[in-house]
Amino acid sequence: MLLEAKGVSKVFGRLRAVDNVSAGVAQGEILGLIGPNGAGKSTFFNCLTGDVAPTSGAVLFGGEDVTARSPERRAELGLARTFQLPQTFDGMTVLENVMIGAFLRTAETREARDRARSVLDLVGMGDLADTPARTLGTPGRKRLEIARALATEPKVLLLDEAMAGLNPAEVRRAIDLVRSIHETGVTLVIVEHVMEVITSLAGRVIVFHQGQEIASGPPREVMRDPSVVEAYLGKRAGRKAGAHAP
Amino acid sequence: MKAAPARNAVWAVAVATALLAYPLIFSSPFQQRLGALVLLYAIAASAWNIVGGYAGQVSVGHVVFFGCGAYAALATYHHTGLPPIAGVPLGIAASVGIAALIGVPTLRLSGHYFSMATIAVAELARLVTTNTEFLGAAVGLSGPTVPRTVFDLSFISALPYYYLFLAVLALTLGLTWWMERSRIGYYLRAIRDSERAARSLGARAGRVKLYAFMLSAGLTSVAGALYALMFGFVDPESGLGILISVKMLIMAALGGAGLLFGPLVGAAILVPLEEISNSVLGGRGAGLTFVLYGAIIVLIARFRPDGILGLLRLRRRAEVPPKDKTDAP
Amino acid sequence: MISATLVQVIVGGLLLGAVYALFSSGLTLIWGMMNVVNFAHGDFVMVAMYTAFMLWSLLGLGPEASVPVAALVLATIGILSYFLLVRHIMRGPMIAQILGTFGLALLLRYTVFGVAGANFLSLPDHLLGGVYEVFGIRLQASRLVAGVVALLVTAGLHLLLTRTTLGSRMLAVSEDATAAQLMGIRPDRMQAAAWGIAAGATGIAGALIATFFYISPTVGETLAIIAFVTVALGGFGSVPGALVAGLLIGLIESLSAYWIGAVWKDVVVYVLFVAVLWFRPQGLMGKS
Repeated sequence: MLLEAKGVSKVFGRLRAVDNVSAGVAQGEILGLIGPNGAGKSTFFNCLTGDVAPTSGAVLFGGEDVTARSPERRAELGLARTFQLPQTFDGMTVLENVMIGAFLRTAETREARDRARSVLDLVGMGDLADTPARTLGTPGRKRLEIARALATEPKVLLLDEAMAGLNPAEVRRAIDLVRSIHETGVTLVIVEHVMEVITSLAGRVIVFHQGQEIASGPPREVMRDPSVVEAYLGKRAGRKAGAHAP
Repeated sequence: MKAAPARNAVWAVAVATALLAYPLIFSSPFQQRLGALVLLYAIAASAWNIVGGYAGQVSVGHVVFFGCGAYAALATYHHTGLPPIAGVPLGIAASVGIAALIGVPTLRLSGHYFSMATIAVAELARLVTTNTEFLGAAVGLSGPTVPRTVFDLSFISALPYYYLFLAVLALTLGLTWWMERSRIGYYLRAIRDSERAARSLGARAGRVKLYAFMLSAGLTSVAGALYALMFGFVDPESGLGILISVKMLIMAALGGAGLLFGPLVGAAILVPLEEISNSVLGGRGAGLTFVLYGAIIVLIARFRPDGILGLLRLRRRAEVPPKDKTDAP
Repeated sequence: MISATLVQVIVGGLLLGAVYALFSSGLTLIWGMMNVVNFAHGDFVMVAMYTAFMLWSLLGLGPEASVPVAALVLATIGILSYFLLVRHIMRGPMIAQILGTFGLALLLRYTVFGVAGANFLSLPDHLLGGVYEVFGIRLQASRLVAGVVALLVTAGLHLLLTRTTLGSRMLAVSEDATAAQLMGIRPDRMQAAAWGIAAGATGIAGALIATFFYISPTVGETLAIIAFVTVALGGFGSVPGALVAGLLIGLIESLSAYWIGAVWKDVVVYVLFVAVLWFRPQGLMGKS
């Protein structure tokens, strides 16, 4: 396993957001994390990236225990991520945003700029290089976050709802992008709501419900699992009540 | 956007020419002294700007570094008889050490802790100095009354100070400019926008902010030493009083925090204002000046956190459509 | 062997500490609820002290009048500060947040300086009758009253936050303003109320401390740092934490003044602050 969680739990006050989850992603795999709102997949995701310290359990990356490692140390080791709500550097241009990622592998400004340009070309944003990032809309921001993460030359890329808020055409473009990233040998972990994305990308999914893993396996099989269906019906009811917790 | 570097270069040349020519055109002693003071405060405020503007960590006790520089210079002279300027390395070393003492624990925490720690350490330094005979206690320390050699850098005219300060300001701005363009400068801007995202991309936020703070502290101590050279005197109020911290941050914030020439613009506006209010209103004016400063700071914070240059820059970019805020979660 | 003098120093320190706890509670309440540090907090105390002084010098009134009046005056200042300034800067960049309240501090400090001058003032000792002897310990009535009232008000503040509807509404806003809004609570009002309550408590503390402390325009700076230390030590947002930390700091100040000398008591407290930041940034009672 390239990236692995062993018995990870995260407790907020009385809420067990993640309850003893063990899961891993192998080199070259695309792993999907799904589940209704508030199921704990985002918290689990943040435990993997180092943004949230697990209450108990361990996170291993390339066999090394990184549980106590900061996000920046994990980035150095080859772990990159995007954010559910894009955290674009709004005071910078698109190119400069990507340079921040490129600076992880070079201290030279010129070199970082060159690398950032080629990443932008790769994701199809080359013509937007000098645009201020704050003028981008949601699809642009999501794509920029992927570009920024790619510039760090990651081994594993974790995408947190990279397709949320995109229209069907944009989703298809994003799927193509993720596929092409995968073809370059990058391992992927994706948290996603859009089922189409999961079924067309992920080789294996893990379903979260109330902080626990309730099912795992190939996407089409898992979606027929009665416990998964039940968990998702709960989600619809929740939506009607107007809950918007991530 | 593409034309920006060229436009900036033109501006830099124009500003440099104006600064070089100023004391020759405005040659009365008052005007030359005013010019020197503007430059002195511009150095201090530019140094503050590195940590307060670029790194976004608001130091409200920066005077402690200013005081280190001033006291190191005059204590060196007082106790060894060497020219005051010989104390400059000592002042820089002490400042960088104090910056580490404050920065290492607080720059990992929310910015509030940093601000609170700077104000507490500055007060601590003032109290300790006031009660330490070695540093002249409440009376303070004096420099050479009559210059012995040229190395004492003691002049009657403000003109030599003017050019000395201009050289140091150029050095400070040069360092800032270099920092802005290097990896650390990019990281600082990224951290200010989103520390979380910057860290996820490998920016060691705590360390980067600490380096900026130490650089800022060292440069501020040079400003303090220059102050001591020009005035030949320092006491706990003039060298470690909170009002010096206030001046540094208000000049940078008014001109434009995080912008290269922001502090110079702020100093060029506020130093003459204060000199005039002091000469017109006398002792009573000092209080009034700071009421005004307080009001200016509140207004900047409330309406224009990026200062005057930020405002101008915004005008220039008016053609850019506004930020898209329709992010659906 | 503990001498009577030492006991007196300890009791005096605890009584002073109770007042520190009270004005630090205001700071910690705002910080915990809105993640805003009020750099003008010490100057709020200062304004309350001048309010008490003016009530005495103009109208001859003592603390029984100045405590409620200062509470009202400061609550008003707190609510005004919230609506005119804090509400607009709290979502802005860090620099705006800190500069905003710091500028407010300067504005208050030098306005008072301009009006009242730089002189150190103090209220007459006889305002709160003389000195009592309890179990052989000599206690100034003013300190005794200030300490006891401060303890009661701090306890009241804690109960207000934990046992009343207003308190639980304020807590809801601090945890999730959007969710609170969905439940029909108006975050704006709750935050304004928090500023009113915090500043009002600070007003009470200021009027109390004025009965035995020197009064000057710059006293707020010293008091602000004491409040920072108290809050850092007690863990931010925690009124019980502020109470324990305030008592501890009052005690440390008293003992260091007694053992090392009065000029060093603030030095000891400031060094303690730096030590806390290094070794226990989450506060003595916080979890790491």
